[in-house]
Amino acid sequence: MADTLPPQQTVNGLTINADLSQGPFYIDGQDTTPKLFRLRCQTLGDRTAMREKTFGIWRSFSWNDYFTHAKHLGLGLVSMGLERGEVVSILSEDRKEWMYTDMGVQCVGGICSGVYTTDSAAQLQYLVNDSQSRFLIVENDEQLDKFLQVRDEMPGLVKVIVLDRDGLHGFSDPQIMFIEDLYEKGRAYDAEHPGAFDAAIDATQPEDTAILVYTSGTTGKPKGAMTSHGNLMYSIAAGLRDSPVYPTDDQLCFLPLCHILERVFSVNAPIAAGSTINFAESPETIFDNLQEVSPQTFVAVPRLWEKIYSQVAIRIGDATATQKWAYGQALKAGMARAECEAEGRPVPLSTQLAYRFWDMALLHNLRRMIGMDRLRRGGSGAAPISPDLLRWYHAIGVPVLEGYGMTESSGVISINNADDNKIGTVGPALPGAQIRIADDGEVQYKAGNVFQGYWNNPEKTAETFTEDGWLRTGDVGTIDNEGFLKITGRLKDIIITAGGKNVTPAEIENKLKFSPYISDVVVIGDKRKFLTCLVMIDQENVEKFAQDRRVPFSNYASLCAAKEVQDLIRETIEEVNKDFARVEQIKDFRLIDVLLTADDDELTPTMKLKRSFVETKHAALINQMY
Amino acid sequence: MSTQTSTDAGTAAPKVVLQIDNLESYYGPIMAIRGVSLKVHEGQIVTVLGANGAGKTTLLKTVSGVMDPEKGTVNMMGADIQTMEADAIVRRGIVHVPEGREIFPLMTVAENIAMGAFTRNDKGAIAADEEMVYSYFPILKERRSQRAGTLSGGQQQMLAIGRGLMAQPKLMLLDEPSLGLSPLLTQEIFEIIVRLNKEQKVTMMLVEQNAKVALDAADYGYVMELGRIVMNDRAEVLAASKDIQEFYLGVSQDENQRGQRRWKQRKTWR
Repeated sequence: MADTLPPQQTVNGLTINADLSQGPFYIDGQDTTPKLFRLRCQTLGDRTAMREKTFGIWRSFSWNDYFTHAKHLGLGLVSMGLERGEVVSILSEDRKEWMYTDMGVQCVGGICSGVYTTDSAAQLQYLVNDSQSRFLIVENDEQLDKFLQVRDEMPGLVKVIVLDRDGLHGFSDPQIMFIEDLYEKGRAYDAEHPGAFDAAIDATQPEDTAILVYTSGTTGKPKGAMTSHGNLMYSIAAGLRDSPVYPTDDQLCFLPLCHILERVFSVNAPIAAGSTINFAESPETIFDNLQEVSPQTFVAVPRLWEKIYSQVAIRIGDATATQKWAYGQALKAGMARAECEAEGRPVPLSTQLAYRFWDMALLHNLRRMIGMDRLRRGGSGAAPISPDLLRWYHAIGVPVLEGYGMTESSGVISINNADDNKIGTVGPALPGAQIRIADDGEVQYKAGNVFQGYWNNPEKTAETFTEDGWLRTGDVGTIDNEGFLKITGRLKDIIITAGGKNVTPAEIENKLKFSPYISDVVVIGDKRKFLTCLVMIDQENVEKFAQDRRVPFSNYASLCAAKEVQDLIRETIEEVNKDFARVEQIKDFRLIDVLLTADDDELTPTMKLKRSFVETKHAALINQMY
Repeated sequence: MSTQTSTDAGTAAPKVVLQIDNLESYYGPIMAIRGVSLKVHEGQIVTVLGANGAGKTTLLKTVSGVMDPEKGTVNMMGADIQTMEADAIVRRGIVHVPEGREIFPLMTVAENIAMGAFTRNDKGAIAADEEMVYSYFPILKERRSQRAGTLSGGQQQMLAIGRGLMAQPKLMLLDEPSLGLSPLLTQEIFEIIVRLNKEQKVTMMLVEQNAKVALDAADYGYVMELGRIVMNDRAEVLAASKDIQEFYLGVSQDENQRGQRRWKQRKTWR
């Protein structure tokens, strides 16, 4: 096989295609994730692949553990009749078994599809039926209950495997088994058919579908994006070329693995790089887990970066005058240095010295406090992030780089990298990839990680591609003279007011979101006389605001109702209005006074408001304004 | 600026005895109360519910002056009292019946009750109040010369409340009166609390983990979690809320297919 390999290059310890515009894509001579996974497990053996915290103690699991469990899980499913090209669904929070399932299923030629733990029983039913899954893996009794509620409506499902036995001792059902029993079946199958697992891995091809990622589907039913081994290999090879991850790196996994961003970064990247994954205990403990793990490389959504910043800002607000002064000085030195670097100018000696001093005196401690003292590169994606926030991170010595991608592009389209970073853009296209801007402003994309199409949905697939085969991202953007992409909004979200004016709501929304008091906002005005918006406030910062100004409030609703809070949001909106023409100005607003959680329809798993759901669910609130 | 929107509407609201605004309290670096605002109206029983570590006891301690808040105000009938010493606050009419009773174990019952009148010197009225306390808690009269430490838990709780009454409180802060008591005794104590409220017009602020009895007794309730108020409403509205039922009253919402359920719904506080 070695002699048929296209020309290779070795970058940051990985051997990848020299020309990334042409597939098949190889990493260390392997063209599919299962093959690369096997190679890594063989060479890394007893080194730590992942850590999970149980009862307060971080426990390590080696690459050997990873391989053995994936093998027994995969073969166990095969022994019960899993065929190549069939989908296995998993409904679980992030944990090691999620990855065992992902790899186990892919190694035996299956397709792994994740279901969000926040999905309802009805959604689970739709996803299982749509993907024609015959096997479903559920985390615990809570998730099992969802299956039990709709089991009669899922006739194709053969077996449900439960990971966690707590609360289910003494429970038995012919259609349900526990993971240990599945491992046992796999072990027996392996003993009877030695070499079957290796043969299955060898049989995987770059053009085989590896994973199915359901897009949230703000309109209509969710669609399963088919992502091939080749797609993922390209995303990883092209992504790691300029944004390296090393075998000594620790990573923290906290977004749902069903989401393409976390999937690629936490499953596929470590398999290529040999780095260690640490699972955050829960969404509530991310900040503690960050401190404990102190990752070298960390990818998160803007909301999390904002939260970390808010925590620091709140602490500084309560500091003594001397401390505030020192923080101001340190930040000034950091900003000066970051500015020189951003413009590609050499950093003057005085700036360097000032930064060194403040780094030692203050910034280093600050980084340790937020668990970023070892961080080499932070990434932000899945939503636009405020340029000011990025500048702040650069100033304190935490390089956070914005990237852009979507499910249909296997997670990545463009990334800013450390040597080539332009704040306010989402970076240049991946090496080997092409981006063009269509006449209507839409960003269109062509590269090795453009997905294969939607599962059983040729019409929707056709809609996603142009006639000449480019991926339609649905986003509107521009490319500057250096090839950096800037995203301005969503094509289908464009509002046409009653006066016939076209408005890109994302432009206004993003400006508003950069306020620390506004967590998310939806601009409304399609076929209406003027623009209005619904605002979701940032609980922590607005509470702090109310506390500092002694605005009494009891619960979240009364916080939203407080006159001072309403005024605060009004002022923020008026400030942003100044940047826009009259017709694009927000005339009125309402606050969403219920604290939304990921369980609510209006929020995506990455905690963004879903326009269409918000518009229907809060129609009464909207109508008050017109 | 009303924090009790649902009670204030319509009817003429009674006078506010206690108004807490934007209170923050710390134990060293640890923030136990993160911005709490609430009101207690005259003649009401207001309950504050919450799990361990929610900040309920800290809240009472801050009101009674045992702890000083970092931020915010505690206003009693128009006067800010957050910087006052605990003894001055008692003299103003706020009595704290602490968690775990904290009676004087080596003194007799009668001496304990007398200690409650420490701040008073109107001998005649004190004697009358003693009789009033004994009328509510006849068992204490029987045992008045017994050392308080030898009383049962329920009797000690009665004694702690009786001692508190002796200060002629305008507002009584009760910290977990049901702690360590049998269900029957708990019920008995709460019946007396309600009677004291109705007959002696003592306004009560009651902190409880036993949500059932507290909501039965109270007019208005606040739910605290991790130092914040997450929900507040009239007691009967709280008792009907899905989250309260599941997390505080132990009512399982819907039977599932397995006929048993261990996991909990996510809280939404709506």
